[in-house]
Amino acid sequence: MSKEKIAIRVDDLTVAYNYKPVLWDIDLEVPEGVLMAIVGPNGAGKSTLIKSILGIIDPIAGSVAIYGKPYEKQRKLVAYVPQKGSVDWDFPTTALDVVMMGTYGMLGWIKRPGTKEKKASLEALEKVGMLPFKNRQISQLSGGQQQRVFLARALVQDASIYFMDEPFQGVDATTEIAIINILKELRKAGKTVVVVHHDLQTVPEYFDWVTFLNVKKIATGPVRDIFNDDNLTKTYGINYKVAVNK
Amino acid sequence: MDAQLEIQLIATVVAIACAIPGVFLVLRKMALISDAISHSILPGIVIGFFITEDLNSPLLILLAAVTGVITVVLVEAIQKTGLVKEDTAIGLVFPALFSIGVILIAKNANDVHLDVDAVLLGELAFAPFDRLIISGIDVGPKSLWVMGGILLATVGMLFAFFKELKVSTFDAGLSAALGFSPVVLHYGLMTVSSVTVVGAFEAVGAVLVVALMIAPAATAYLLTSDLKKMLVLSVIFGVTSAIAGYWMAHFLDASISGSMTTVLGLVFLTVYLFAPSKGLIAVMYRQKQQRTEVSLLTFLLHLNNHDEESERRVQHLNEHINWQKVRSKTVLDLAQKNNLIAIENDLVTLTSKGKEFTDLALEYIITNKDEKIEHMKDDFFLFRG
Ligand SMILES: Nc1ncnc2c1ncn2[C@@H]1O[C@H](COP(=O)(O)OP(=O)(O)OP(=O)(O)O)[C@@H](O)[C@H]1O
Ligand SMILES: [Mg+2]
Repeated sequence: MSKEKIAIRVDDLTVAYNYKPVLWDIDLEVPEGVLMAIVGPNGAGKSTLIKSILGIIDPIAGSVAIYGKPYEKQRKLVAYVPQKGSVDWDFPTTALDVVMMGTYGMLGWIKRPGTKEKKASLEALEKVGMLPFKNRQISQLSGGQQQRVFLARALVQDASIYFMDEPFQGVDATTEIAIINILKELRKAGKTVVVVHHDLQTVPEYFDWVTFLNVKKIATGPVRDIFNDDNLTKTYGINYKVAVNK
Repeated sequence: MDAQLEIQLIATVVAIACAIPGVFLVLRKMALISDAISHSILPGIVIGFFITEDLNSPLLILLAAVTGVITVVLVEAIQKTGLVKEDTAIGLVFPALFSIGVILIAKNANDVHLDVDAVLLGELAFAPFDRLIISGIDVGPKSLWVMGGILLATVGMLFAFFKELKVSTFDAGLSAALGFSPVVLHYGLMTVSSVTVVGAFEAVGAVLVVALMIAPAATAYLLTSDLKKMLVLSVIFGVTSAIAGYWMAHFLDASISGSMTTVLGLVFLTVYLFAPSKGLIAVMYRQKQQRTEVSLLTFLLHLNNHDEESERRVQHLNEHINWQKVRSKTVLDLAQKNNLIAIENDLVTLTSKGKEFTDLALEYIITNKDEKIEHMKDDFFLFRG
C-alpha cells in the first residue's frame, strides 16, 4: 500500500458555514486508481467535502493536495460533476456545446475548439447515450439526461481524477448501469474516481473503495475490509443489515 | 460626408459596440448594472473635467471608466454581506455616486458648463459638430473615432475570448476549474461595458446607451438558443432600431435619442408577442394545442380499450367522454389529419398508425424516455418535453 501513489490527500480539514462546522477535522488519503464511494446521510457534508477539495469553499482549517500539490496547480487533472449543476439552464446552448466546453481546458486561452474537440465530444455523448439529443437546448432535456450531458462533459476533460456528486440521482436503471460501466472503464485506465453514493446495496458491486462520512470521517479503505455493519451503524446511527458479498 | 449620414454612421457604430457586451450582461442577468454604470460615471467625468478643464480630454473617459468599475466593485461588496439582494445593492450605489456628481457640478456651476440634462439625454444631432482635427485636417466627427476605436477593441476581444466568456457565463465553476478565472473575465467584461458606456453616452446620452445595451440582447434572446446567433441578431436589432429611430425623429421632428429608444422598445414588444417559440402568443397557442393533444390521447386510449361499437360512435364522444361539441370536433380533426383514426358511418376505428402512436405515447408517459418518440415531436407539442 505504501508504494501506491496518493491521488488525493486531505489533512485536518474543517469547514464551516456561518461559523457552524459541517466537516470536522477530516483526514483522508485516496490512492490512485480506485473507484471510491463517499457514503453518509443527508447533510453529512459529502458535497461540502468535494467542494472544499476543489477550492469552491474555503475551509477554516486544514489543507488539500492533489498528487502532492495544491488544487490550484492541478486544476487540469480534475473533472467534477456537481450534484445539481449550478449552471444557467436557460443559457442559449445545446447539449453538444456543453460537452465541448469540457475540452476548453486543454485548449487554454484564446484557442478555439476544432474538429478534434468536436469528435471527442460526440464520442462522449455517444458513450452516455445522448447522441440523439446533441442539438437540444439543455433546458429541454429531462433531469437524468442533463446529468448524462454533464457526465459526458467530464469525460472529455480527460482528467486523472473525477469527482461525481450523486451521478445516479434521478437516472433510470439502464442508465445507471451504463454510467457505472463508464466509471469502471475509467478506473481500468488508471483514473481515480470519487462518487457520492446513496444506495448502500450497490456499494460492494460498484466500488472498490469507500469513505464513511458524517461530519467526521468514520472510516476509509477497501470496500471488502471496511464495508460492514459496524461502520454503517456508526455513520447512519441505526443498525444496518446489509449483506456484503465476499 | 453630410451630417445626416454621419449621425447614422455614429449611431450604427454605437449600436454595435453596445449590443456585444449587452448580450453577456443580459445572459448574466446583470442588465441593471449597465444602468448603474451609466449614471455613476458622472463623478468620474466631473472630476476629470476639473483636472483637465477640457471636456474632450481622454482622461475623462479613463476616470469615468474607473468609476464604472468602482460601481461594480461596490455593488458586489454590498451584495456579499448577504444583507441585501443585487438589485437593492445597485439601487444603493448608483444614486449615491450620481448625486456626488450632481453636487460637484452644482457647487461649481458658475465656472463649469456641464449640465445634467445633456449628460443623461445626450443629443446625437450635435455629434457631427464636434470634429477631430489632426494637423489641420478635418478627419470626421470625434465621437465616430472614439466609438470606432472602442468597437474595434470590443470585437477583437469578443473574437479572442469568445469561448472563455461563454463558459464563464454559463458555468463559473467549470470555468474556474478549466483555468479561466471567472473573476478576471467578469471584470474584463465590466471594464469593456464601462468604457463603452462612457464613450457612447457623450454622443447619445445615458438612457439610450442602456437601451442599446439591453433591448437588442433581450430581443435576440427570445429568438434563438445559440449564443453566436444571439450576438448576430442583437447587432442587427441594435443597428436597425437606431437607423429607424433616426428617421422617425427626422419625420416627427423629435429627439433622436428618444425616438431610437422608442423603436428599441417597440421591436422588443413585437418580438415578445410574436417570437416563434418563446413569444407570448406562441406560448399560449402551444398550451392550447397541448390541451387538445391530451384530449386526443385520452380518446385514442379509449378506442384502444374498447372494441364495442357503442363506445366508438362519434356522438359518444360528446356524451360519454363529456366533451363539448367544438372540442370533440377539434380532437377528431387532429386525429384524422394525422391518419390516426378512420371514420366510417359515424364509427371511429384506430388505424395501425394510430395504434402504434398510442402504444408509443403510453410507453413514453410511463417511462418518460423519449428516444422512441423523436419523430412524434414535430407534429405534437405534447412530446417536446
Ligand atoms: N451554502 C450553505 N450555507 C449554509 N449551510 C450549508 C450550505 N450548504 C450546506 N450547508 C449545510 O452543511 C451541511 C452539509 O451539507 P452538504 O451539502 O455537504 O451535505 P451532503 O452530505 O452532500 O447531503 P446530501 O446527501 O443531502 O446531498 C448540511 O447541514 C447543510 O445544511
Ligand atoms: Mg450533497
